[in-house]
Amino acid sequence: MRKKTLSVLLTALMVASMAAGCGKDSGGAGGSSENDGELKGDITFWHSFTQGGRMDVIQEAAEKFMDENPDVNITIETFSWGDFYTKWTTGLASGNVPDMSTALPGHVVEMMDAEAVIPVDDVIDDIGRDRFAEAALSEGERDGECYSLPLYSHAQVMWYRKDLLEEANLEVPETWEEFAEAAKTLTKDGVYGCSFPCGSGDLMATRFLNFYVRSGGGSLLTDDLKADLTSDIAIEGINYWLDIYENCSPKDSVNYAVLDQANLYYQGKTAFDFNSGFHISGVETNSPDLVDSIDCAPLPRLKKDDPIYGAETSNIPMVIWSKSEHPEICKAFIETLYEEETYTDFLAATPVGMLPSITGISDTEKYQSNEIVQKFSNAEQVISEAVELSAAIGFEHGPSVEAGLLTSQSIIEEMFQDIITNGTDVEKAAKAAEEKMNEVFESVQ
Amino acid sequence: MKTKKIDYGRWLLVLPALIVVGTLLVYPIFSSLYYSLTTKHLIKATYDFIGFDNYIKVLTDPDFFKAFLTSILWTVASLLGQIVVGFTAALALNRVNHLKGVYRILMIIPWAFPSIVIALAWKWILNGVSGFLPNLLYEMGVASELPQFLSDSSLVFGTLIFINIWFGAPMIMVNVLSALQTIPQDQYEAAQIDGASKLQQFMYITVPHIKVVVGLLVVLRTIWVFNNFDIIYLITGGGPANATTTVPIYAYNMGWGTKLLGRSSAVTVLLLAFLLIVCFIYFKIIGKWEKEDK
Repeated sequence: MRKKTLSVLLTALMVASMAAGCGKDSGGAGGSSENDGELKGDITFWHSFTQGGRMDVIQEAAEKFMDENPDVNITIETFSWGDFYTKWTTGLASGNVPDMSTALPGHVVEMMDAEAVIPVDDVIDDIGRDRFAEAALSEGERDGECYSLPLYSHAQVMWYRKDLLEEANLEVPETWEEFAEAAKTLTKDGVYGCSFPCGSGDLMATRFLNFYVRSGGGSLLTDDLKADLTSDIAIEGINYWLDIYENCSPKDSVNYAVLDQANLYYQGKTAFDFNSGFHISGVETNSPDLVDSIDCAPLPRLKKDDPIYGAETSNIPMVIWSKSEHPEICKAFIETLYEEETYTDFLAATPVGMLPSITGISDTEKYQSNEIVQKFSNAEQVISEAVELSAAIGFEHGPSVEAGLLTSQSIIEEMFQDIITNGTDVEKAAKAAEEKMNEVFESVQ
Repeated sequence: MKTKKIDYGRWLLVLPALIVVGTLLVYPIFSSLYYSLTTKHLIKATYDFIGFDNYIKVLTDPDFFKAFLTSILWTVASLLGQIVVGFTAALALNRVNHLKGVYRILMIIPWAFPSIVIALAWKWILNGVSGFLPNLLYEMGVASELPQFLSDSSLVFGTLIFINIWFGAPMIMVNVLSALQTIPQDQYEAAQIDGASKLQQFMYITVPHIKVVVGLLVVLRTIWVFNNFDIIYLITGGGPANATTTVPIYAYNMGWGTKLLGRSSAVTVLLLAFLLIVCFIYFKIIGKWEKEDK
């Protein structure tokens, strides 16, 4: 009987441990904090440059910095963007955050709210404040202080296959109506006109809906930072993308995240897609034969005479964490990343994908001599114009936690899934998603 | 007068185990219990005590009950499938005389793979555009269009259960096979002499010998399958439209998506209570079996 009781207790303990949450782990910067003019100490740098070229340039820059500062040790850890968000939010709770890191604009607002990062105005001034776009700096600004500085920029544009359009005698679409017609026409022979991705755990459906809503001058947030998914333009946008899903998209795209979506375009299975200049390197790597057949254009508009607009610019920021024992090392290292030679090499790792966030780079001979930059000069111009015309999703009302939550909760993605999978009425699903989003907004007040 | 000497040595020897148990088992349970009564937020520094509010919110959320029902179906279907397949494979393998070890290794391969490999491999095989299986079925004329195993709400849950059976059956097989090999052969010989049929031999010799092993396997697999997170999350993320959201995924989304750690803790505490009840029932049954055997 005793044995049985013991075995029940042991099993109970095992069940309990499996059901309970994970324990916290601890961590933090190590090394000496002594600073007698010479930089000395260990720092950890988290970044999300997972592709080879960019990762290598950053690694080389760190090694060069360590050579010049023998008492400094930089440990680089790399995470995908999705993992990165989980990593820093959980790390913040346990104190396991790096000394410096990359981020996304929406993250920075949350980081500032949590007082997790420190101002970097001195770094910006050393590099040259007037070299940065004011809008990009303002994304990390609070009470007159900048808590982040952009490393590179890109914007969402419409990518298309020139060869498929020519074969079908179609012009590059300029309006959403033309886009839908062209996408439907090109959906044949194993090629989809345009995939509409709405997998949970990513922001793709939010991004696509935002394109449409911004083209009509609307926003997914109200002026008082409430979710707005039931406006006329939002409902119109939801119906528009449902039509694209129904007629031009692989049905599997209901589960697609960013890479699933991009892969289809890389493999030549979609005629249109929406992305930044990163599509060039993706196609070049996966389908080199198609590189000459792709180009991009501004996002479609509601009406032909509407002005060209931008719907989503990403100024990828760098931050220094409050927990860092060596902010001076982080600042000095960040400044070296903006040195012309290093910075140009970094951008050249994904030419046209990463556009400079500071002036005085794009017109240098080295930058201009890049073969991809020359070949895709039209794309570079289209994206550069879009960069100036927009901000991060929801940032049209200024940086806010709500804008970050808009893209990180997958609520819009789940709304589309609900409509597609369960046949829920569009307005009812939009209303439910709006309420759910507002409830999440309230939880962070 | 003789004084009793305290033997510190033995306490020193068990100290590491006590520390490990205390850190890895007891602390998470009590911290979850504590946080479930608070407004603990993943990235907010402060939180308040709110009593049972989190439990009320969770228990009045229809999505929680949907996830709970999905978890029950997921566990029952996976477990039944794993037992039937694992048991059948073990009985078959027990009759093999040549290269038994090779077959055993081959059949346990799915269990040996890390979840991430399994998830990515199945995602690739079942991809609705370029996946091997949908294209094969389409080319063979079995399907009129590419089957969407991971996005069609009528297929996705069954597909995940199939993958879980494929993954978990080898573990059942190995354990049942081990139990089968402990059955004395003379019992079968005696039964044959007495004229017992194959079914009677199975029911009155095989089953009684292995039922305790199978019972313990069911207890363990129930806990593991009910708590399973990685395979579902990596393949479907709980979608589409929450069609494959189980309680652990619901708790994860609550804690790491909406960052409401307090509410997420309440979900895990409810999960813990439920599994304890299930285990209690299981052990009652196993205890009864053991008593019958004596």
